[in-house]
Amino acid sequence: MAIFLLRRLGAAVVLVFVIATMTFLLMSMTGGDPARNILGDGATVEQVAAKSAELGLDQPLAVRYVDWLGAAITGDFGRSWFTNEPVMTSLANKFPVSLSVVVTAILVTALLSAVLGVTAAVKRGWIDRFVQMFAVLGFALPNFWVALILVTVFAVNLKILPATGFVPFATDPVRWLLGLILPVGALVVGTIASTAQQVRGATIDVLRQDYVRTLRSRGISHRSLLFRHVLRNAAPPALTVLSLQFVGLLGGAIIIEKIFALPGIGSLAVNATLQGDLPQILGLVVVMVVLVVIVNLVIDLLTGWLNPKARVS
Amino acid sequence: MKRSILGLGALVVAASLMLAGCSAGSPASTDSAASTGGTLTLGATVDATSWDTADAEFGNRLQYMQPVYDSLLHIDSKLEITPWLASAFSYNDDNTRLTLTLRDDVTFTDGEAFNADAVKANLDHFATGTGQNSITLASVSSVEVTSPTEVVLVLKAPDPALLRNLALVSGMMASPAQLTTGSLKTTPVGSGPYVLDAAATVTGSQYTYKRNADYWNADAFPYDSIVIKPLSDLTARLNALKAGEIDAASADAKSMAEAQASGLTVGKMLGDWQGLFIVDRAGAKVPALADERVRQALNYAIDGDAILKSIRLGEGESTTQIFNPSSQAYDKSLDDAYPYDPAKAKKLLAEAGYADGFDLVLPDLAGFSDVTTITVQSLKDVGIRVTTEPVSADQTISRLISGEFPVFVFSWGSSNSWQDTIKLLTPTAPWNMMKNQDPELDSLIAAAQSSSGADADTAFQKLSAFVVDKAWFAPWYVQNNIYLSSAKTSVTMQPQNVVPYIWNYAPAS
Repeated sequence: MAIFLLRRLGAAVVLVFVIATMTFLLMSMTGGDPARNILGDGATVEQVAAKSAELGLDQPLAVRYVDWLGAAITGDFGRSWFTNEPVMTSLANKFPVSLSVVVTAILVTALLSAVLGVTAAVKRGWIDRFVQMFAVLGFALPNFWVALILVTVFAVNLKILPATGFVPFATDPVRWLLGLILPVGALVVGTIASTAQQVRGATIDVLRQDYVRTLRSRGISHRSLLFRHVLRNAAPPALTVLSLQFVGLLGGAIIIEKIFALPGIGSLAVNATLQGDLPQILGLVVVMVVLVVIVNLVIDLLTGWLNPKARVS
Repeated sequence: MKRSILGLGALVVAASLMLAGCSAGSPASTDSAASTGGTLTLGATVDATSWDTADAEFGNRLQYMQPVYDSLLHIDSKLEITPWLASAFSYNDDNTRLTLTLRDDVTFTDGEAFNADAVKANLDHFATGTGQNSITLASVSSVEVTSPTEVVLVLKAPDPALLRNLALVSGMMASPAQLTTGSLKTTPVGSGPYVLDAAATVTGSQYTYKRNADYWNADAFPYDSIVIKPLSDLTARLNALKAGEIDAASADAKSMAEAQASGLTVGKMLGDWQGLFIVDRAGAKVPALADERVRQALNYAIDGDAILKSIRLGEGESTTQIFNPSSQAYDKSLDDAYPYDPAKAKKLLAEAGYADGFDLVLPDLAGFSDVTTITVQSLKDVGIRVTTEPVSADQTISRLISGEFPVFVFSWGSSNSWQDTIKLLTPTAPWNMMKNQDPELDSLIAAAQSSSGADADTAFQKLSAFVVDKAWFAPWYVQNNIYLSSAKTSVTMQPQNVVPYIWNYAPAS
């Protein structure tokens, strides 16, 4: 296990380095002019040159890269060129917002898809048909449309939930939760649809296995059979889907963040990219990669814990 | 098994109902705008960036700065400049020395005194900074402190936009003790009617301002607190307005009907003009453009009224001028100069020797694809062979200003006449990329710069007439800025700024 973890961490370091380097090179090749973008349309050529020098853009690419890397290794990702805020401070402000939404959405997805998927697999009949219909519907409905409907009904008409904004958990846990209900609701329609289908399919597959029939013939209770044997074996495919969804939601919740005016990493990533705010983008990419690596690691460990057959030595 | 699954399902349903129940009692709306006091909550299209006065911007971000920073002068919704932190102001005879008499009863919120030294420190800080508007003090050669309550701004040449700028960005006063510490970028310290309430502010989400208890003119600001929420998405702003979470925000023409149906008040003010920038007036890249008949043909070739009607839903007015309708340079009679007339465009091209057209590369800018498509087709219809080249959003300004494109479709937020002149027309103007110059234009600019009062209006209008006649641009229309507000908020629209100034809001009576 220790070797597995060390290998994973080593791969993570290499991955972060490669992706950060590629991001740095790609952003440098776009040909944008951050100094001009900062100073706007009224600035003279001299002012733009002075700003470029202030940002270090007059240095050769290699020098800028080594400077950035040297500082980044010590945890200093510099300051945003546009807001002057330290990159780590802005990430520390934005990530909790996105993680609040995404983690809650994943937890709700896990819970509801397990309930729906297992019920459909075990009961079959109308519940199964309902789950399958819901899955098709969930896939078909774009989450931004669901979001707009939810806002119109619950925020604009009924006025029982906020239409926009985010309140940090530490400030007010109740308002934090209320603010999450609609964005999470909009996101989980699609994720539950796909995950519930996975759980249903995997559960049906396991239920058809010979060892399940054998266990049943030995008089093991239905509950024990389902929770101790079937679900443990059916869990890995669902967990894999969940981990993919986590990564996808983190990067793909931009539209939901915009509709609900959530100050998360989605808007940060879009603005930083449009402006060419390199320090901000690099900080964001590094943290995202680390997060993705951690999520995959946790899912691997969870899969191993649930199913010893999948456990790594 | 059956019971456990049903039990789990019931738990989920119960939890959902509990959450919904919790929410029923929570207020979704702000408590803003009682007849006196209360809170004004605004939705902003952009987030705040730097709080340093040297980085202050016109447009949307003014609203973040105006609550905390007072300016030397004041500008109202009729564009009249009146005393503010400077209790009196006067020019010498040739408009090269501006004397400001200062109030003696103002202190910054960190206890520092507002006086002539503070004004000099602030103006120097702004002029030498790297903010995008440091250019607005480029005409000031020095600031002389003549007494604790008087400063003289010595100018290199008359600056017809100076008073207006001192009422806005370049006249914003921060505590002199903070100017050199670097802390202003993240923590504003001014003498304005409000202070930023750090405890109730969440960067990127909500900026809360509470009254400055020692403010010298509290009566001018009716609200006890102001909250500004950055809501970059129009749908989010509309939903927040309809849900009562904010009191006012920018919108666009397409959202007007929905807003009116929801009981919101729609404010309009003519703002940006859209059209063609014809910047290669000497024909350095496209020789045909050196002939004014060709440039005039470009003006006749495109049906701006149709674009205004179809793309902007008619929210605006036709124009041929680069100057704002509220500005002194604007002359209504010039707007009939180039009606849509493709036959005349072809005739002018033929007269100039381009009966078979010429080749032109237009940039396809992010956000302008719809009007660019129409432009390309219209120009092809009169025989000009147009190809387009995509330009990404982060490269738009730098590539346009580089002079790479001889003609391009763009939008210009016109404001003060002199401000637009030094940005668009003078040989050193950043948007006169090819450094085009004309002796007649030079003398018209010089006359506009040095005159004042009614003479200045006439001089600027002659300047506008020259630019229209020589077809340096091909503006189609000036479009309305659309601003929505709730029934409990009274908003006075502000000419020459995309959003109202912070003193243009009051509780509705």
